[in-house]
Parts: sequence; structure tokens; C-alpha cells
Amino acid sequence: MWWGGRGQSFNIAPQKEEPEMGSVQESRMPEPRSHQPSSCLASRCLPGEQILAWAPGVRKGLEPELSGTLICTNFRVTFQPCGWQQNEDTPLSSEYDFALVNIGRLEAVSGLSRVQLLRPGSLLKFIPEEIMIHGRDFRLLRVGFEAGGLEPQAFQVTMAIVQARAQSNPAQQYSGITLSKAGQASGSRKPPVPLMETAEDWETERKKQAARGWRVSTVNERFDVATSLPRYFWVPNRILDSEVRRAFGHFHQGRGPRLSWHHPGGSDLLRCGGFYTASDPNKEDIRAVESMLQAGHSDVVLVDTMDELPSLADVQLAHLRLRALCLPDSSVAEDKWLSALEGTRWLDYIRACLRKASDISVLVTSRVRSVILQERGDRDLNGLLSSLVQLLSAPEARTLFGFQSLVQREWVAAGHPFLTRLGGTGASEEAPVFLLFLDCVWQLLQQFPADFEFSEFFLLALHDSVRVPDTLTFLRNTPWERGKQSGQLNSYTQVYTPGYSQPPAGNSFNLQLSVWDWDLRYSNAQILQFQNPGYDPEHCPDSWLPRPQPSFMIPGPPSSVWLFSRGALTPLNQLCPWRDSPSLLAVSSRWLPRPAISSESLADQEWGLPSHWGACPLPPGLLLPGYLGPQIRFWRRCYLRGRPEVQMGLSAPTISGLQDELSHLQELLRKWTPRISPEVHSKKRDPHTILNPTEIVGILKGRAEGDLG
Amino acid sequence: EIHTNEKEVTEKEVTLHLLPGEQLLCEASTVLKYVQEDSCQHGVYGRLVCTDFKIAFLGDDESALDNDETQFKNKVVGENDITLHCVDQIYGVFDEKKKTLFGQLKKYPEKLIIHCKDLRVFQFCLRYTKEEEVKRIVSGIIHHTQAPKLLKRLFLFSYATAAQNNTVTDPKNHTIMFDTLKDWCWELERTKGNMKYKAVSVNEGYKVCERLPAYFVVPTPLPEENVQRFQGHGIPIWCWSCHNGSALLKMSALPKEQDDGILQIQKSFLDGVYKTIHRPPYEIVKTEDLSSNFLSLQEIQTAYSKFKQLFLIDNSTEFWDTDIKWFSLLESSSWLDIIRRCLKKAIEITECMEAQNMNVLLLEENASDLCCLISSLVQLMMDPHCRTRIGFQSLIQKEWVMGGHCFLDRCNHLRQNDKEEVPVFLLFLDCVWQLVHQHPPAFEFTETYLTVLSDSLYIPIFSTFFFNSPHQKDTNMHQRQLSLPLTQSKSSPKRGFFREETDHLIKNLLGKRISKLINSSDELQDNFREFYDSWHSKPTDYHGLLLPHIEGPEIKVWAQRYLRWIPEAQILGGSRVATMSKLLEMIEEVQSLQEKIDERHHSQQAPQAEAPCLLRNSARLSSLFPFALLQRHSSKPVLPTSGWKALGDEDDLAKREDEFVDLGDV
Repeated sequence: MWWGGRGQSFNIAPQKEEPEMGSVQESRMPEPRSHQPSSCLASRCLPGEQILAWAPGVRKGLEPELSGTLICTNFRVTFQPCGWQQNEDTPLSSEYDFALVNIGRLEAVSGLSRVQLLRPGSLLKFIPEEIMIHGRDFRLLRVGFEAGGLEPQAFQVTMAIVQARAQSNPAQQYSGITLSKAGQASGSRKPPVPLMETAEDWETERKKQAARGWRVSTVNERFDVATSLPRYFWVPNRILDSEVRRAFGHFHQGRGPRLSWHHPGGSDLLRCGGFYTASDPNKEDIRAVESMLQAGHSDVVLVDTMDELPSLADVQLAHLRLRALCLPDSSVAEDKWLSALEGTRWLDYIRACLRKASDISVLVTSRVRSVILQERGDRDLNGLLSSLVQLLSAPEARTLFGFQSLVQREWVAAGHPFLTRLGGTGASEEAPVFLLFLDCVWQLLQQFPADFEFSEFFLLALHDSVRVPDTLTFLRNTPWERGKQSGQLNSYTQVYTPGYSQPPAGNSFNLQLSVWDWDLRYSNAQILQFQNPGYDPEHCPDSWLPRPQPSFMIPGPPSSVWLFSRGALTPLNQLCPWRDSPSLLAVSSRWLPRPAISSESLADQEWGLPSHWGACPLPPGLLLPGYLGPQIRFWRRCYLRGRPEVQMGLSAPTISGLQDELSHLQELLRKWTPRISPEVHSKKRDPHTILNPTEIVGILKGRAEGDLG
Repeated sequence: EIHTNEKEVTEKEVTLHLLPGEQLLCEASTVLKYVQEDSCQHGVYGRLVCTDFKIAFLGDDESALDNDETQFKNKVVGENDITLHCVDQIYGVFDEKKKTLFGQLKKYPEKLIIHCKDLRVFQFCLRYTKEEEVKRIVSGIIHHTQAPKLLKRLFLFSYATAAQNNTVTDPKNHTIMFDTLKDWCWELERTKGNMKYKAVSVNEGYKVCERLPAYFVVPTPLPEENVQRFQGHGIPIWCWSCHNGSALLKMSALPKEQDDGILQIQKSFLDGVYKTIHRPPYEIVKTEDLSSNFLSLQEIQTAYSKFKQLFLIDNSTEFWDTDIKWFSLLESSSWLDIIRRCLKKAIEITECMEAQNMNVLLLEENASDLCCLISSLVQLMMDPHCRTRIGFQSLIQKEWVMGGHCFLDRCNHLRQNDKEEVPVFLLFLDCVWQLVHQHPPAFEFTETYLTVLSDSLYIPIFSTFFFNSPHQKDTNMHQRQLSLPLTQSKSSPKRGFFREETDHLIKNLLGKRISKLINSSDELQDNFREFYDSWHSKPTDYHGLLLPHIEGPEIKVWAQRYLRWIPEAQILGGSRVATMSKLLEMIEEVQSLQEKIDERHHSQQAPQAEAPCLLRNSARLSSLFPFALLQRHSSKPVLPTSGWKALGDEDDLAKREDEFVDLGDV
């Protein structure tokens, strides 16, 4: 039954298929204890993958228990249920695959009390009866080993995992991965998500946003302005490439102001790094910087992104605490759960992000202005806020395609250092900012269930994908490194990567693969669940028509310059810090409490939505999230997956159940009387034999009583 | 329909609308009602009135209501109405200082703050009101809400006298009232308890005891004179029988005595009683003493009063202050933990009955507080019938109303003893909400139903929740020789409470027929944990045994009830309402397709009735729905907005403001 689903991530009921699998298994493999991995196991390996050890085992913790094989290779640890290859249409199993880097904790269990925590390099002290693999993505795999002569294999596979972990390199990609069915390579990418690696992608996107005052700059085509910047980005029309190059030099790591998003109402959302205070720009340079920031608007708001938001170390600490709290053996008493959750501060940070994004959305919407997100590095919180603002303000960003493009543009192409932040390099700068972002998006999804085309499962899939090294999307820190690896930069590499060996030619599939190629990891049934059945596009009119921008590109100094900080607008004398005194931005104001709201002190700093949007309380398409304590929720389906007592499928996804019902009925009706065309486009189902009327009524009754219940 | 002059009401909003029997007591004009979320403190002028039923504010611009809004109006209590019983605390503001108001006042406040039991907060500014009127209205409100009252003075009685003969009972929609022997026999038969238990009429006319209902059920071999011996104390009274024959019983404790002789007599009496129920055909009995080792009423009271403070917000600043520590404040109120303990106790008892086939005897001093709570929860978990709307209403009628829960005292309707005020019934509803929230398809009703039910505790036109015992109700009603309009439908205040359109929201759209009986389970488990884990590791059968999750993250705040009036907590265009419209649409489609199939089958061409589309074209709704539409004055999400001074010159400003209008109209 659809809503009894107890899969770890997905709402796909495993019960249906398993009896078949079991029976197939028995007939096919009468000798499950053969000591040779069957040839089908080996054939399922990825190119370059070697099976290090394997042992028959039973997946535990969830009903029903599944028997299968636990395999450790030089890439990953995977559990293959018996007979699984039958339905297999993905090279990687999403449910039971653990990339070596994803293993957060490994425990061997013997009997009731013997538990050994296995770190890389540990020596196993006993024959394990059970092994527990805690994923850093909060998944848990429990495999019990069979007794009766197979203990050495259990021991071997456990030790193999320990050693493979010690040797694994987080930056390493599964090599030579290709889509299982090469012909349908882009099956899951229709239309393909633009990777924002070509000038055409940027131009198409610019046109889509109707950003008429902007153009695609090719100044960084050779990554000589900044390696962390994409090869192309948007700059104001009037600014020459030479000016761009000069202006960018005065920003931290060369990350000057670029357009993130053009609001259909006329405002522009920009992002840039911190001013490089040590530099000494001349008058021309300052003018270039200022007009880039001003972007032709007379009203300019600088947003100190780091203000009121957690630092990278805060995020990392909170995430670690959260993971500790969510471990199955976490010792927090039930009645202390809430304060423990509060103590992680994770929800606090989410709330801070949502609040800030909501504030910025109001700034962008309420009047035509240039809003600049400024973060010292411009690679973490800027991406988070800019993406959230777009999700809140632009209905297109809330579609499946739009969201993927958004992540690709604001995170991947914009140079978020995924590898470092996700702990790949072992550097101290680990901080799962992207996961924080995904949780924020999940909160929005909870609050506005009809406004997003994608579902919670999609977010979960994305959450889990960051630790699967199958594509380069999350495996590199900068667009430059990513391009280098995939061999795009042949003509430039001699300048920038002396001695770097080119990837083997003929590997052309690899170039195209990105995390958005979902069929690498997920079956079609799972990909279907990425769609939010409750999505109601009627709520999202495309009626934000681009409006004429009479004031656009008027040269001259801005009439008002503000700093947005701690929920209030403060007037600024100048945009750049170099003329007289250091910018206000140099003073860190983070984590100071907001000033108490008294009407007097705010008299000249008031801002917000005008009170007359007509009948609608908000302009169409704008979402304002709730960010009060009670409204920020805990993402149970993600973080508590590892706890056996808190299982999935608790709250029935009623809409998908109904949708199922609906398409079933439509199918029946269609089959029975082909002349009636279904009102709504229905999903293709497996053809059933044509039923006679009495049978249909019988089925309907049965479904009404049983399914809907 | 509950009241007759409803049509006039919708046409003329500004005039005070009185229920039958309702009388205007005092009023004051030019009162300013603050729009609560706005720290700029602007508001609406109007008239504040106090009747013997409610406090009402009649705003001057009330006529500006659009059609959408009236659609969601509550028929009895308007947006600005507070029934007298719903008033929790009244505060006055004197020179910026907030003080609780009670008794005789020497000085009259410039501002009146009313906290309601349904967690609304009203603020009225009296600065522009005539002094005489201020005196009259403030002392009037304080007197009528705070002063101890006589039972006979309840508005219930004046309403019942005035509003006769407008009860229409729908026989299909029949809640079992358990006020006849027949009802009990029917229940015995339904649960197959009639082999070992019998309905007795020994208390007919309340001869034996005023605490017990006129009819109830005891073990068959129990002699009736035993019931009389200690006025019904010490008698195992049947609540419910499980499919496997084990039963849930309750017993009120014998009076505590000092005298050894009397103690001896009590002991031998109890021995006799226990002997009867300990021998076959009765199952082994496990006694659960709810008076000790479990919650105390005091604990519940303290927890709830802490808990509700989290939601009674006077102004935004206060809200933000508490907001930072939300989770620890929530935890320290321990209300959620109390819910968890109740659910856990109910699961334990369920385990005894279901897995160990034991009878469970609940013991409490009067068997009318925690007994009601636990036994109702057990039945809700074990008996799918109780998860239908009628079944649930019958359950409340059986366990709470007939079970003698002291609604009058526990809700403190008469304001006679604050110490007795304990929200036991509300605790029960919150526990039920946890179940509904975790397993929505298992219930025919939704959380909105529960919220409406909780609100009706304070509306004194339903007699259900305004008496301490069936005896009290019968005697009071009979003395006045009233034909009670509400006796039949009284515990289903939902009927006609909202207009038809919103009825959809109250019925669970997914809970269809719940008819299957519990599958018998062969497994015998010996402890709670195993029972709990094993149930949760299996696919859920919504027609069978239903257990809640009780781990830390799973017990949640009933957001709809507690947060609905806080404007900051509104999610415009979001929350469950957003999915609801989609859901309705799809259900309509499923229904029409099913009709089509039926039609083809019978080859009849029945006229196609267009399904009503309710929510599709309405304005953007917020999470307040269906209790109110948007709070109209909250145009500013983050900080207050007024002028746009200091932002460019005037001309520029005007131009820009025009732009905004255009944007809004697009």
C-alpha cells in the first residue's frame, strides 16, 4: 500500500516487490553460501572498481529484514539485496550505497553488549555479528551476518571497510561512470539543466530574467580574474570589460559585484566579496566599482551578509551536534529532547537565514533599487541568501527545473567550495552550508506546500547526493578545478595547470554528467517522486511582467545609500570604504542583538512593504516565510532516518495517495470506454487486462474501503 | 440551525446581534481596539458591549467585510466576540503598568487587556471613552466574568428557555448519549461484552448516588446491592471490551477512613468484589492506580498555565523575547511531557489488554478525571469505531459526560474555585490531536474538528460541557421543566457551527468507512517496549490497533489551536490550507470519475451535478483558516511601516508609490 511506505528515504513501499525477489532468489541461488561472489555481483561493479571483500548478511532494523550481500569495494560499501539486479536500472543503489567518504561512524556488534567503534586503522577485536554503518548523511545501515562457517567472511568484510576508509581519497570520483543506458543519457534532464559553463547558458538565463541593463562578461574566460568565479557572469551594460577587470581587483579574491537575479519589478540583486581594504584604487577604479554596485539605480542597499548569520564554524559545530543528537544511541532523555535540539542551535541558524532572506526579499520587492549582498568570501552565505531570496520571490525558481538551475548557478558555478565545506579536504574550514540551505528550503516546502514543484524526496535525494562521488558537481571547490578535470579547458590549461595530466580522451560522457543526472542514483519510480503532487501552479502566476525601467542606467551618484544590518537600514555616506574611513562593513556587527523596536529610534529607518498591494496582502509570487520558534521545524525524515524506532511513512502523503487513486480510476475508465478522454493528464501505469464492469465496481469498493480508509 | 435570526446578522453587522434570551448589560462607545501585532498601535474605533453571554466589540468599519470573509464566520461567536466563559484573565494598564483586574476598582484603567481561554488576546483603549462609560463597562466586565456565579445564572438556561423547538435531529447522524439502558446494551453488544457484563438500572433517578449516571454496566455476577453499599464506590464499572474478551474497567476508591472497624468492613467488601472479577470467566485483572504513581491534577494545572503563557502575547516585542528560547520554554512547561506520559500509560494498558489478554481496572479517587482520559485514549487506540466522528462523540458522551467528569469545576465556569480549574479535557484533546496528527488517515475527523470542539467548551449554549454530572444536569434542567433544545445534538456542536462550506474541512476528507475490526494477534509479548517497537515496525493498519509515537521529536505543539491568533505566526498563502484546496479538487475529481463509472455501469444518464469549488477562487488564505481570514491590518511583515520619509524627495516618492500599486494589480 502506497502510504505504508517504510523505505529509508522514499515513499516507495518495499513490501510489494520483496516477496517476488525472495522467491527468485531461492530458485536462482540455491547455494547462498557459496564463497565466490556470483558473477552478477562483479558485473555490477563500476569501471575501475574492485571488490575487496564480501559477506552474506541480513539488512536489519526495518521490517521486513532483507537478506543479501554486503560488499566492500575500493569506492564504496554497498548492500545488495538478493535478486536486486532484476529491477536494477541505476548504476548506484540509492538506498544501500555508502561512498567511503560518507561513512561517518562504523560499529561492529557482537552479542548484546560488545560494541566496537571502528576508526580508520582500528583493529577489529572480535567476530562481528552485526555491523552498523552510520552515514554522514544521517542514513544508517545495519547488516547482521549469518553464522555457521561464514564468520571469517564477516570479519574480512568489516576489516576491508576499515582499511578502505583509511585509504580513500575524498576528492576521488568514481571513475568512468556512465549512464546505464547511454542512449537515454539525458532522460532525467529534460530540459537539461544548464550547467552555466558556456556563454550561451548565461545569455539564455539573462534573457529569461529580462535583465536588459546587463550583459554577459567574458572577462574571466581564462579564469585570470578569479579562479573561484565562473567563466562568465553578468555585469552592467555600460561597464567595459577592462573596467570590470580593474574593479574586481579591489575585492577580496577578485570577486567583484555581479548580478545574481533581476527582479521583474526592476530591482537587481547583486553579490560580491568584501572590499579589499589594502588596495589603493585610483579615482577611475572607484568610479567603476561604484557604478557596478549602483547598477543604474538611485537607491542602493548594501547588505552585510554575515551580520546576524552564523559563522562557518558555528554551522559546522551545530551540524556535528545535530548529528550526535540524532544518533540512535543518543542519550538524550525524551523529556529533554527539545532543549537538546535547541542546544544544537541548528534550528536557530535556519531561522536566522530565513529571517534575513525574508527581509532581503522585502527590500528587493518594495521599491526599485540595487541590493548588494556582500560577504567577505562571497562563496558561502551569499549563495545561500541569494538562492533563498529567489525562491521566495520568483515562482520559476520553485519549479524542479528552476531550482536545479538555481543551485547550479548560485552554488556550483558561483564557486561554493563544496569539497572543503563538506569535509573532503580535511581542512578546518568544513561547514555544511549547503545542507543548511537545503534545510531552509525544506522549511519553505513545509510552510508553502502548494508552491513548490519538487517534493521533500527531491530535497532528500539532493541532500544524500552531496556525498556520492559520482559526478564532479560536489567534488570540486571552484569552476576552474571542475572544468580542468572534465577536460573543457584544453586551450587554456597550459597557462594554469602546468603538469596536470589530462583526463583520458574519449570519456565524453563524463563531461556532461552532473548531479542532476538523477538516473545515475535513482530509479524511475523514485525520480517520479521528486514531483510534489500538491504543487498548484495556479498559485504562481507568471504575471510579473517586466516593467519599463525609465530610471535605468542614469549616470550620477545614487541619491540614497543604505547599509542593511540587524534588521534596520542605516544611511551610508559612501559606497566604497577607500575614500576617507574604513567602511562600516569592516566593523563586524555579527550576533549583536537587534535594537529594541521603538517607534522613535526607527523613525528614519523604516522600510518594508507598502501597505497597499490591493486585495492581495502580498504581491503575487512573493512568499514570506514564518521564522518564529514554533514554525521552524525539525526535518525528521532526513535527520532521524538512522533511528530504528522513528520510522518513515508516519504521516501519510495523502495527496499522492489520492493522485494514485485518480490515475487508477482514469485508467480504468479509459480502458473501459475509450471514448471518454481523461480530464487530467494521468501518469502511465502498467496496463492491466480489461476488466468487465462488475470487476471494476468490485475494485472500486475494495479500494474505497481498503486504500483510502 | 442554532439560531434563527442569522440572516439579519449578515446583513447588518454593526448592530449588536443577540442570541435568543441574551440581554445587553452595559456598553461603552468610542473604544479603540488595538490591532494587536502593530507596535504603532493603531486600531479601530467602535462600541464595546457586555451581555450576559459575551463581550463584543462592534467596529465602526465592520461593514467593509467582503463576501469571502463572511463565508468563514462562526455562527455563534464572531471575530470580536468573547463569551464570558472564555475570558481567562483581565488586565488593566495604568500609566504603562499592567495589573490584573479583579474585585472593586478604585481607579479605572486606560487600557483593557483580555486574555481568552481560546488564547486570543484583545486590547481595548479606553482613553477616548467617557469616564462614566469606562466605569460601567470595566466593572461590568469584571463582575460578569470574574465574580463567582450561581449555576442557575448560567446563560445556558436563559438560552434554553428562549430558543425552543429548533432542534432537528438527523437520525443518521446520531451520537449515542448513553442516557438510556438501551444505549448501554447496544454498546455492550457492539463490543461483544454482553457475555460477562450487564447494564444495570439500580441508579435510576439517582437513588444510589449522584455521581454516577442513571445507567451503567457492571460484571454480571456482581450483586446490585453491592452498588448501594458505598454509593457506587468500590464497584468495578465497565468501560469497554476488547475483541479478545478482555475489558477495561474503572473504579472509584472507597472513602478514606480512620476507623479500623470501618476499614475492616471496606477490606472485606473489596475482597468480595475482587473475588467476583478474579475468577473465570474473567481474565486476570491488573489494577492501575491513577491516583498515585501517575500525574496529579496539580501538575497538569501548573504545566498548562505555564504552557499557555507562551501563546498569550500582548505585543510583538514580548513575542520576540520569548521566541529566542522557544524550545527550552516549551520544554520547561512540561506540557508536552505530560501528553507523552498520558499516551504512554494508554499504550501500556493497551499492551496488557491486547497482548496479555488481561482486564485492566483503573482506580482513581472519583474515577472522573484521569480515568476518563486514559480510558478514552485506550479506546481510541484499540477501537476503530471511536475514530469516526460519531464514534468519537459517543465516546466523549460515554466516558466524560456520563462518566461524571466535572466540567463545571474543571473549566471553572462559575468562577467559584480557581484551584479546581484543571484542563483535563483539553489535555485529552491534545493527546487525541497527537494521534490525529501522526495518523491522519485513521480518523474521520481532522484537527480542525478538535479545535472547534475545544472552543465549544466555553460556549454556554451547549449543555454538554456545563455540568459536573448527569445528575446535576438532569435535576437542574427538570426543575425548570425545559424542553431542552440541545439534548440531542448537544455534543455535536459542529453541526451548523460553521456554514456548510467549511464543513468539508471539519470532516476528514480521507477517513472513509472504518468498519473492519481489529485483527487478532497471536503474539504474546511480555513488555511494553517490545509491543511498541513491534507495532511500529509493521505497516500501519488504520482500521486496527493504532499506537502513537511518543519519542521526543514526535510529540508536537497543536499549532492550529495554540498559534492561530498570533499574527506573526501566520503564513500567508501557506500551511495546510494550501494543500487542502488541492486535496478537495482531487477528491471531487475522484468522486466524479467514480460517478461516471457507476453511470456507465447502470447506463443511466443522471444529471451531472457540478461539484462546488470552494477554495479555488478565494483570496489567498493564511494558516488562520478557517478561524479567520487574513488579519487585515498586517501589511507589514517585518517592521512597522508608515511614511517613507527620508527616502528621496516627495515627487519621487509619489511616483514610486504608484509603481507599487501597479505591481500589486498585475
